[in-house]
Amino acid sequence: MTESHSKHILSIMVDNEPGVLARVVGLFSGRGYNIESLSVSEVDSDKFLSRVTIVTSGTKNIIDQIKAQLLKLIPVHNLIDISELKTFIGKELILIKLDVKKKSVSKIYKHVKDYGAKILFDNRTEMIIEFSGTPSEISSMIKKLRSFNIIELTRSGLVSIALGKDYIKK
Amino acid sequence: MKKLSGARIVIETLIQEKVKVIFGYPGGAVLPIYDELFKQKKIRHILVRHEQAAVHAAEGYARSTGKVGVVLVTSGPGATNTVTGLTDAMMDSIPVVCISGQVPTHMIGNDAFQEADIVGITRPCTKHNYLVKDISKLASCIHSAFHIARNGRPGPVLVDIPKDIQTFKSTYNGKKLTKSISFYKPILKPPIEQISKFVDLLKSSKKPIFYIGGGVINSGLGASKSLNTLLKVTGFPCTQTLMGLGATPTSDNQFVGMLGMHGTYEANLSMNKSDLMICVGARFDDRITGKVSGFSPHSKKVHMDIDASSFNKSVNVDLLIQGDLSKILDMTIKFIKDKKITFKSKSISDWWNQINKWRSKDCLSYKNSKTVIKPQYALQRLDTLTKKLNPFITTEVGQHQMWAAQFLTFNKPKHWMTSGGLGTMGYGLPAAMGVQIAHPDGLVIDVAGEASILMNIQEMSTIKQYRLPVKIFILNNHYMGMVRQWQELLHGNRLSESYMDSLPDFVKLAESFGATGLRVIKPGEVDDLIKEMIKIKGPVICDIVVDPKENCFPMIPSGSSHDQMLLGPNDKLEGEISEEGMVLV
Ligand SMILES: Cc1cc2nc3c(=O)[nH]c(=O)nc-3n(C[C@H](O)[C@H](O)[C@H](O)COP(=O)(O)OP(=O)(O)OC[C@H]3O[C@@H](n4cnc5c(N)ncnc54)[C@H](O)[C@@H]3O)c2cc1C
Ligand SMILES: Cc1ncc(C[n+]2csc(CCOP(=O)(O)OP(=O)(O)O)c2C)c(N)n1
Ligand SMILES: [Mg+2]
Repeated sequence: MTESHSKHILSIMVDNEPGVLARVVGLFSGRGYNIESLSVSEVDSDKFLSRVTIVTSGTKNIIDQIKAQLLKLIPVHNLIDISELKTFIGKELILIKLDVKKKSVSKIYKHVKDYGAKILFDNRTEMIIEFSGTPSEISSMIKKLRSFNIIELTRSGLVSIALGKDYIKK
Repeated sequence: MKKLSGARIVIETLIQEKVKVIFGYPGGAVLPIYDELFKQKKIRHILVRHEQAAVHAAEGYARSTGKVGVVLVTSGPGATNTVTGLTDAMMDSIPVVCISGQVPTHMIGNDAFQEADIVGITRPCTKHNYLVKDISKLASCIHSAFHIARNGRPGPVLVDIPKDIQTFKSTYNGKKLTKSISFYKPILKPPIEQISKFVDLLKSSKKPIFYIGGGVINSGLGASKSLNTLLKVTGFPCTQTLMGLGATPTSDNQFVGMLGMHGTYEANLSMNKSDLMICVGARFDDRITGKVSGFSPHSKKVHMDIDASSFNKSVNVDLLIQGDLSKILDMTIKFIKDKKITFKSKSISDWWNQINKWRSKDCLSYKNSKTVIKPQYALQRLDTLTKKLNPFITTEVGQHQMWAAQFLTFNKPKHWMTSGGLGTMGYGLPAAMGVQIAHPDGLVIDVAGEASILMNIQEMSTIKQYRLPVKIFILNNHYMGMVRQWQELLHGNRLSESYMDSLPDFVKLAESFGATGLRVIKPGEVDDLIKEMIKIKGPVICDIVVDPKENCFPMIPSGSSHDQMLLGPNDKLEGEISEEGMVLV
């Protein structure tokens, strides 16, 4: 079978309890599914609910199987495939630390302005930039800054939301 | 409100869950619970000799009653010993609750004495598990565990209870007033449109086949009854999986035998050539489908299952019906009655003619002998001489298991306990104990191989202690027969490590545990042995010395499809087994 693989963004509402992430991640590793990106945090502190966003890819059958398996986990309340909804926004946050001892910073300031990024810290030796954007915007931003001296960077993983109603509410 | 210790709450919750028996083994981390067990009379504790056996016994108890089987073990090695049993229950959808002790909460993570992260270890082999870190949640965890184990697709649930939680005190007001911490509510009833579509397919089919699985047994006697009605109303042929045997009577003429790797010629060809396959609570296991691309290529497929993840997993189907089988089948019967739909036997008479032609091949026939006992013969005699007594049959894993499936009659659900999904050697003996505990007056027979039986042979001691009249029917071929068969077929007859050397004297072994041992070596002695076995009130080990070289047919070699079946020792493989096939299990 040479069915086409496609990328999917799954948003999963789970009980925020110990081990819940291990259950989700263990399901992916145990069954051989891949995780391209993962982000998780509590979204409702009264009901102890966390929202997990996973970017994965596979054939239709595999994606259906992933969803069915996830829904079987007891702490999983609901799940939506955001990429199947009409209009959605997917964003990621990146923090980049640059060594600015030697180079002129004017070019960096220009890039930051062009991208609508933010400088969080600058003491003339190092600079920390914050930027949120789509994964491809982030990649292009990294590319632009590569000619400067990047000390390290970190990305949050994708979070995503669809236009319209509260789809994940049961 | 009086406060109770955690250990006492464990007992009280079990009583509320109507638990009558638990299978267990004590140790440091569960001593408070064992102390509470000692002080009460409502729950009977069966002391096994290995924790794996406790789980299999609980499985046998559960499968033969429809109730949840309960296990109690200590931390560390006690808990890790349950892993095979829990995985077995997971694969075969058996409801089990396993309570394990754990080191006290403040020591968790310290590599404390007899500490094992059993919740981490069993996460993939339980339906769900809990580590109880807060005494106020203990009761709700245990009630939730039972709820999850028995509802939806059944499975094992583990509750890990640190020792300090067992001694802390809390209030408990009974199950009704305990807030459940799980909102688990499986879908039970499908929309009626699906039933209507299903009945349309039934009406238009010329070559239908019901493919019946273990889900019918899980769903309960109601599902079996409705399914039988549907079979009678339609007149359609049916086949059953290893896990589904007995879902409807296998002595019925509409039953064409088990399907799959060691299924009958007529069952597999009916599946292969059908135009409508109705999967009732089965999961398209690879032992059934063989090569997926060659699996029933021309049929429309209907799949009824309670678990959405069973759908389109390995085989794509045309109509999915999600829900509990007893409901689905009930709705179907009602729909057919309300709409006054009738099925004419004429419309599928060509199909039955074809099936009967396949049947006339008599694919289970074997060459009997006057000098050595053929395993098939021993089982046929066992069937004839015990059928009236409605025995409960358990098995170990191997050729004997397949022959038992092929040659015994299963006219009632919940009378056949076998390890299908995991294929756990050593399952049958402890499972038989669990069945016997649940049915003290029943005839319980473990059809065993001489290799498998040694994997949990220590349970003879449990059998002795509780005077369980379990009958062990060993088809002793001196080989790991199933392994030898594959080596002959796929590995140039190099019998690497599959000969069973240094076997015990099973008669003496039986006697040393206060049981009776019987041995036969000639076909003429088999009947007397079986009659004697039935007559004896206590446990019996029968050592049936059978043909060491007999193989199990039909067989679909791995990587082949249903129409490429080997029917007997003289059937040769067409060419070499493909590399693709060689890597399959
Ligand atoms: C040596 C060996 C050889 C084997 N050879 C064969 C063989 O030749 N043929 C064969 O058939 N098997 C064979 N097996 C067994 C095989 O591995 C599988 O265990 C078996 O085929 C699975 O049976 P099943 O499809 O009925 O599924 P089960 O494992 O019984 O699963 C039941 C299905 O029903 C669903 N279900 C559960 N409860 C409900 C409910 N209330 N309502 C609706 N649906 C429900 C579940 O979600 C699941 O999908 C062999 C095993 C061994 C060890
Ligand atoms: C615990 C375990 N280990 C290994 C296997 C692989 N295996 C499957 S059948 C079999 C041989 C069983 O021999 P026996 O019990 O004598 O049964 P026979 O096939 O001879 O009837 C083995 C080793 C298994 N199923 N389970
Ligand atoms: Mg053997």
